[in-house]
Amino acid sequence: MTDPLVGELVASLARRKASAQVVPAAEAARAAARAMADAGVARAVLADDPLVGDIGLPDALRREGIEALLWPTALSRREMLGLEGPEDSCGVTVPRMAVAERGTAVLGASPGHGRGIDVTNRHHVALLPAGRIVRTLAEALARTFADGHPVPSAVSLVSGPSRSSDIEKISTLGAHGALSEHVVIIT
Amino acid sequence: MSTRRRRASGRVAYPDAHGTLRERTVQALADDTLRGNLETAAASWGESRDAMRDRARDIRRRNIRELPALLSEMQAKVREAGGTVVRAQDGAEAARYITGLARARGVTVVAKSKSMATEEIKLNESLTDAGIEVVETDLGEWILQLAGERPSHIIAPAVHLNRGQVAALFREEAGTDDVPDDREGLVAHARVRLREKFAQAGMGVSGVNLGVASTGTVCIVENEGNARLVTSQPRIHVAVMGMERVVADWDEAAHILQVLPMAAIGQDAANYVNLITGPRREGEADGPEEFHLVIVDGGRGALRGTEFEEALSCIRCGACLYSCPMWKSVGGQAYGSPYSGPIGAVITPLLEGPASPASRDLPFMSSLCGACGEACPVGIPLQDLLVRARARASSPATRRSAVAFRAWSRLWRRPTTYRACMAGWRLMLRARGKGGWVTRLPGPGAGWTQVRDMPSHWPPRP
Repeated sequence: MTDPLVGELVASLARRKASAQVVPAAEAARAAARAMADAGVARAVLADDPLVGDIGLPDALRREGIEALLWPTALSRREMLGLEGPEDSCGVTVPRMAVAERGTAVLGASPGHGRGIDVTNRHHVALLPAGRIVRTLAEALARTFADGHPVPSAVSLVSGPSRSSDIEKISTLGAHGALSEHVVIIT
Repeated sequence: MSTRRRRASGRVAYPDAHGTLRERTVQALADDTLRGNLETAAASWGESRDAMRDRARDIRRRNIRELPALLSEMQAKVREAGGTVVRAQDGAEAARYITGLARARGVTVVAKSKSMATEEIKLNESLTDAGIEVVETDLGEWILQLAGERPSHIIAPAVHLNRGQVAALFREEAGTDDVPDDREGLVAHARVRLREKFAQAGMGVSGVNLGVASTGTVCIVENEGNARLVTSQPRIHVAVMGMERVVADWDEAAHILQVLPMAAIGQDAANYVNLITGPRREGEADGPEEFHLVIVDGGRGALRGTEFEEALSCIRCGACLYSCPMWKSVGGQAYGSPYSGPIGAVITPLLEGPASPASRDLPFMSSLCGACGEACPVGIPLQDLLVRARARASSPATRRSAVAFRAWSRLWRRPTTYRACMAGWRLMLRARGKGGWVTRLPGPGAGWTQVRDMPSHWPPRP
């Protein structure tokens, strides 16, 4: 029943300083909303992916008192960057794939999935169906850029929260992108 | 104690006090299971790294051989995706194009992510001269920009400044004392200040770690997330790529993208890898409306087919810098070039031409210990290239020293003259020694004693 790739991904994410939980589809929305509420999130920017509605995430967020905006939002650039409005925002993405051996989410840009959703917001939650996990980066890239498929304008490989070691060589989280990354693996 | 160390077979796991070394060795060699286990373990540590390097080297060598074809393919694919491609013969041409573009589009603020190529083409100077504000958004680069300094390392540009110095720079920039002193606070402060710049920037400029010809994609590897903001927030994205940074397809790219973070930061992944193919598509709400790829020759093309061709394989990971005893002593700034360390000592003279001062000096910034060649994840024989670069730097001055070296060699090749030299040397040391040490030598020895003393007797007297 438990896929070894799921366990490997969870371990790799922990190494990359991201958190993860494995839940059935019926509980995914509540788990994601709970994680955001615990982080003090006031506003969530959601990728417009069928999965978001299917698991009922917008309703679950409203129940937690979190404002839910679907991509593309009507926010100004300053609001998107958190310079105006609530600082504690969260970008919710739906990765095309994830790489188990290195804890990488593969995000593809599309009209429903802005390329900046995960980095412009303070927190990042990724909703990942367990069937989308592959083992190696080579597999993920081969599938993403396979012949005959349209090449996305932007693909982002995200492996944990943003960090910098530029001050005194000590790794500090939240340099430019998200301060935290939480992956909800949906079985 | 001893029972705990015994295995089920009754053999002793740590035979510390049993028998001689020879007996223990013979016993270990007779143990086939042990030998099998050790070989498996050694293979999983040592050989996989070698295998990765061999494959990376083969990929990069092939890329350089096929460079013209790869570049035409790259160019065609980027155009197909709606991007603009410009081939610049030299740095000045590249900087002129980007500055002209910024002017034509009415850009007042340019946000940059870390890029060696833009350092090489002196883009910041060119934009600043045109009255355009340039902001380095990589945290380390921004700190240096505020300090008015040059980077000291490819990967860690501001390693030489401490937290207090950084806080002082931030206070000055923000015009307020309300800047925290702790590391987290400083990072959070910079995040907000730089987001103000991202909100204003009309153009984002990035480098390129790797171009993938088969789809016309540029790969930008980073940890902070600033490169993603640079490539997604402003209306225009300009990517500056050294012409050698192209691979054929995604199979090759996957391998290099794996090797790069391991060699650069000792980790299996960088935090963000941005794979960008042209500008935003129809219906997309973020991403640049214009994408320009500037491919810089800058002396690279002329290296193909020469004895220095292998230097073009470089993926700019910085591993040779960390391995180099010379670099570890003086840091990157002393090299006076965007590219420091062993690879910088090889390519700077090549890119700047034989007439530049770098050509005469930089190849000698090495002890030729070979640590760089050992560290290189794409198998560039840096120590050999350094020797070739020295031969190339031959000048009237070096030819004069060649005469001196021949004379020296003649003296020391005969035991009698060698012994005479040594006797004279000993007499001189004793004459100049004080308290067992010589602190100043005349003539060619002066350089030696500038930074160290020499014992006047051997063995040294206490």
